[in-house]
Amino acid sequence: MAPAPTDTSWSVEFNTLRRQKLFRHPPKDRSPYPALAAALQPHINSFNALFENTKILEEGLKDIGTKTFLDGENESVGQGPTPPKRNRLNLRIKELFLEKAILPPTNKFNTRNRNIYPAECRERHATYRGKLRARLEYRVNNGAWKESVRELGQVPLMVRANRCHLENATPEQLVDHKEEAEELGGYFIVNGNEKLIRLLVIAKRNYPMAIVRSSFVKRGNLYTKYGIQIRSVRPDQTSQTNVLHYLKDGNVTFRFSWRKNEYLIPLVMILKALVETNDREIFEGIVGSSSSKGIENTFVTDRVELLLRTYKAYNLHAMAETKVHLGERFRAVLGVPADMSDEDAGTEFLRKIVLPHLGNQNVTEAQDHDKFKMMVFMARKLYALVAGDCAPDNPDAISNQEVLLGGFLYGMIIKERLEEWLRSFGPITRDWCQKNNGVKFTDSSFDKDFIPKVVKRTNENIGGALEYFLSTGNLVSPSGLDLQQASGYTIVAEKLNFYRFISHFRMIHRGGFFAQLKTTTVRKLLPESWGFLCPVHTPDGTPCGLLNHLAHKCLIATRNIDVSHLPQTLVQLGLRSYSSVALDENVTVQLDGRIIGYCSPRQARMIADTLRYWKVEGTHHVPLELEIGYVPNSNGGQYPGIYMFSQAARMYRPVKYLPLDKLDYVGPFEQPFMEIACLQSDVISGLSTHIEYTPTNILSILANMTPFSEHNQSPRNMYQCQMSKQTMGTPGSSIEYRTDNKLYRLQTGQTPIVRPPLYNAYGLDNFPNGTNAVVAIISYTGYDMDDAMIINKSSHERGFGYGTVYKTKLFSLDEKESRRSRSKREISKLIGFAPGGEIRASWRTTLDEDGLPHIGSRVKEGSIIAAWHNVRYDPSTNELINLDSQTHFLRYKDQEEGYVDSVRILGSENGSEPCQAISIKIRIPRKPVIGDKFSSRHGQKGVCSQLWPAVDMPFSESGIQPDLIINPHAFPSRMTIAQMIESMAGKAGALHGHPQDSTPFQFTEEHTAADYFGHQLRKAGYNYHGNEPMYSGITGREFAADIYLGIVHYQRLRHMVNDKFQVRTTGPVNALTGQPVKGRAKGGGIRVGEMERDSLLAHGAAFLLQDRLMNCSDAQRAWICRDCGSFLSTQVAVQAVSSSKIRDTVNRGRLAASAPNSAVAASGIGALSGTNGIMRCRRCAREAVFDDSRVEAWEDGAGKRFVGGDNVTLVAVPGVLKYLDVELAAMGIRMKFWVEH
Amino acid sequence: MSREAYQVPSLGAGQGSFGTGAVEGTAAGDGPSVTYLCGDCSSRVALKRGDQIRCKECGHRVLYKERTKRMVQFEAR
Repeated sequence: MAPAPTDTSWSVEFNTLRRQKLFRHPPKDRSPYPALAAALQPHINSFNALFENTKILEEGLKDIGTKTFLDGENESVGQGPTPPKRNRLNLRIKELFLEKAILPPTNKFNTRNRNIYPAECRERHATYRGKLRARLEYRVNNGAWKESVRELGQVPLMVRANRCHLENATPEQLVDHKEEAEELGGYFIVNGNEKLIRLLVIAKRNYPMAIVRSSFVKRGNLYTKYGIQIRSVRPDQTSQTNVLHYLKDGNVTFRFSWRKNEYLIPLVMILKALVETNDREIFEGIVGSSSSKGIENTFVTDRVELLLRTYKAYNLHAMAETKVHLGERFRAVLGVPADMSDEDAGTEFLRKIVLPHLGNQNVTEAQDHDKFKMMVFMARKLYALVAGDCAPDNPDAISNQEVLLGGFLYGMIIKERLEEWLRSFGPITRDWCQKNNGVKFTDSSFDKDFIPKVVKRTNENIGGALEYFLSTGNLVSPSGLDLQQASGYTIVAEKLNFYRFISHFRMIHRGGFFAQLKTTTVRKLLPESWGFLCPVHTPDGTPCGLLNHLAHKCLIATRNIDVSHLPQTLVQLGLRSYSSVALDENVTVQLDGRIIGYCSPRQARMIADTLRYWKVEGTHHVPLELEIGYVPNSNGGQYPGIYMFSQAARMYRPVKYLPLDKLDYVGPFEQPFMEIACLQSDVISGLSTHIEYTPTNILSILANMTPFSEHNQSPRNMYQCQMSKQTMGTPGSSIEYRTDNKLYRLQTGQTPIVRPPLYNAYGLDNFPNGTNAVVAIISYTGYDMDDAMIINKSSHERGFGYGTVYKTKLFSLDEKESRRSRSKREISKLIGFAPGGEIRASWRTTLDEDGLPHIGSRVKEGSIIAAWHNVRYDPSTNELINLDSQTHFLRYKDQEEGYVDSVRILGSENGSEPCQAISIKIRIPRKPVIGDKFSSRHGQKGVCSQLWPAVDMPFSESGIQPDLIINPHAFPSRMTIAQMIESMAGKAGALHGHPQDSTPFQFTEEHTAADYFGHQLRKAGYNYHGNEPMYSGITGREFAADIYLGIVHYQRLRHMVNDKFQVRTTGPVNALTGQPVKGRAKGGGIRVGEMERDSLLAHGAAFLLQDRLMNCSDAQRAWICRDCGSFLSTQVAVQAVSSSKIRDTVNRGRLAASAPNSAVAASGIGALSGTNGIMRCRRCAREAVFDDSRVEAWEDGAGKRFVGGDNVTLVAVPGVLKYLDVELAAMGIRMKFWVEH
Repeated sequence: MSREAYQVPSLGAGQGSFGTGAVEGTAAGDGPSVTYLCGDCSSRVALKRGDQIRCKECGHRVLYKERTKRMVQFEAR
């Protein structure tokens, strides 16, 4: 009998033994934490969808279709007496293959296992990627298709997706491959960094949204703010936005953007091009037949009449005529081949741009009819919007939004790159023809040259483009992919602690465009978001409300569900195909943006209810995940109808369907119109259809971890969500194999006593994030003021909050940082001591004889970390030889002392290169010091202010000393009652030895938490309220008040003084101004700015000011002329030594004679200035004439002699003052200083 | 700091090369062979200066430096 499968159910219990067993023997069947894997399924599944059964990329290839290029001259199309026959070259991509990561064939050394696993890529700071190949097919004219399989570079692969070796790996296999037992994947590894494409909010697909936007007016004359916008999504997940604009005169234009340019077309032209129609049909399509109530709506009839009348000016009637008209104008834009007829170009235009979700490949007549009907519907909705019959849809509400999944975006980029690649054949083939004197494609040389001369010249490196995208997050795209931003698509999945890591995958961003928006409407928390986006988990500050996190039960569809039976079912429910503009007469029924039919409003309710019942019941082929958005008729509300959605990228969440007491999934579009009770008490009989499984379903994973969060003031819960992501926790158990630039680790992590059952369901005990601390809330020493906290020194010594920082440094010998493989002859440096050179004993203290540091050696700022020497390839011996016997060193540059934790020698992918790069991991121990930041789980952060000796700590009657003392003033204004409850619950839990369930919303006014835990405390023999009499550690006397003492889970935050302190007296200065540089990293100072200066002035602290602004800054002594008041004209008078030796010897005697007075002055000045010369003002001096005495005369550097200008003095000035003087002088402005005494 | 002053007790000829035995001015021969650990199969790989970085057993491309056999001692503060 096979062993029982790994248990995946978790309760709130500690499960110590179970976890121990799981940890020692990772399961061989499945992960014990399915909830964790489910949390990032959207990422993995969306990537899988590219190649797996749905094969999104295959759809993309079909959309790209066949590209056709012609030979011969461009001008000859359709002109001239007899245009020469041009040959067509057809190109298409038939298939795409993406391989797993394997060694390149150049590596001949591995025979057993050629797989490259993610861990190796992390360790080698390489990219986890696999080869992309495409089957390129080509033919000339109508010949046979020939094919060539092209290699398109290496594409980064998603870890644990279907192109990863670890896709279905069990925890045991994961551990074997140096991963976490709970490795989740969902990210890419680019240059050793874990990168992920973040989820983005975009407009809901295939739903015509009524938009009122004042910027629409700017489109042109007559344009109004009204529009209907639809984001039409092709089967390959790329989208095309179509907009209908309302013009002041009642006209409607169709707008779209193609390759970043916008185009406008009259609506009627689109309608007439789509189907063979006439004005009557269009009129009745919008208004309704003459017997319907729609005809009474004169607002619409007037406008439709005008719509049709103005179109008469184009004089286009038949469908073919209209298509020719469109094709003629858009053939250049679309890039269709020159020999395609205008009508076909028009068809191509309709296929690619007009509502492509209703027909994108081999568009049938029925599909064109669907497009026509949808266009008519959009026009109708537009008129309703203008008339005020319906309200605009809110594009910021989640009901009108969906998610752009990373994998789909990745696929879009691949598709676009492939299309660009095919397009690039055009100019290259033309070039080839010209080079070969206008040779034709039919020529035999073409067949011979095509692969080596044409295809080879194209840029086939699609993998490189994707690697660029992932490493920078920048989207380089000629079409913009119908997205609003060009950068910020990827982020590094930082593994600071596990909370942060998992949050990256649940994060959903509104888009970079909205971050710059002045208005705050997009940031608002709307009721529509209930259950989909967490109301708590959003950062405060700039990204507030834009960067949201998914509620933990919110799912994202990654595939289209099968709804092929649905239209038939609907028709059987009594839909009809005709309609009118009158909404009380009929409403629309749509499935994924396709109009199935119309029914009366009463029928609509019945249909929606029936479908809902069937869907939950699982009968009539109505899938459970289907979203049935029933919008009821209302007085000027949202445009009514039934809108069903079945496609990917939707959000949906589980709730219970009351009539059947079964699971139902609801989407954000349908939710606002549904009656979902939150609690059992909210159920209204006959009205409520659904009930939440539990109210905590609306919270994100992190927000759920805040104990009793409903008792906190809401901002505190937000702060906690932020702070838990900055906690120094446990990033995982495979730290040894990780090469993150910086990794934080808490050595003494504990499981919290107070936690919700979800804590176990998400397996968070594998990644402990804090320590349970005995916390006394007391104002004890005065060192706990202002959010400071006192740590018991003995707790500190026992390891409370002890942490470690790991820094990995990559030392690469080749400067160019080229990743390409290099042959042996290109290598110019090698690790190690230069052979034949001397090796000093001092070097060998940290380095081994291979020139690498030994494990465990202590490194300080500037200590040597590796040795290298120059080499040259010697072809005669086929060896690398060193000529200069010089050893050079790589040094450790950080300020902080650390220890070498591991040294990795990195080889190249092909296994044939000597060591060119090493990766050294440094371990920096970080015990808690004064100034380090800690926080409870309630947004109560504080700084350690003292390590207080245990003997002086207060103690309780049972002899308990607190680990931590916090000030009671932290509570009144912040109202973090939950921390008080946690304290009591923790205490009771510790006393009874059981974990406490801290799920929010479990207590009520009648059944309070204080009573529940108070009771437990009383049972353990403690005060019911959690207070205890305590005694001063210093005097030994009992405090007048009882102290609130309990156990609270404390987190150590990563903000530590050691990373932040900034001190300097002297140090590096700016070369130009002489003032201290700024920036902690450069050893700079903190600016004493205007306000600080004012403050010092006001205090009269003149000496301090002098010290800060002058002496510690750019004070310098400068010579100034008292007479002319200038710095610039003083100069050093040189002794006339060089002029002539004879004269010098003659002079010497005379100078010596007159020495006494002048020499004293000169030496005095010389001592001050530090130069040996005498300073003189050149401006106040005059040139010496023959009569002047040699004593008075002085000489400048050029040998000219002057007399006078000796009234100079030395002053202390800021260096910038002189600089200012120079700058002003350059502008012709003279500064004059009055120098007294 | 004190480690600089500390003299490793001689462990015999076999492991002597790992000590701080190198004296000032000693010339390095062309390629002392140092053993590393393979990142995949954990086998010991002896490499000389300029050798290709790869495990001789399994061809893995990441090698770890072995734990030192030197006496590592710091002043506890």
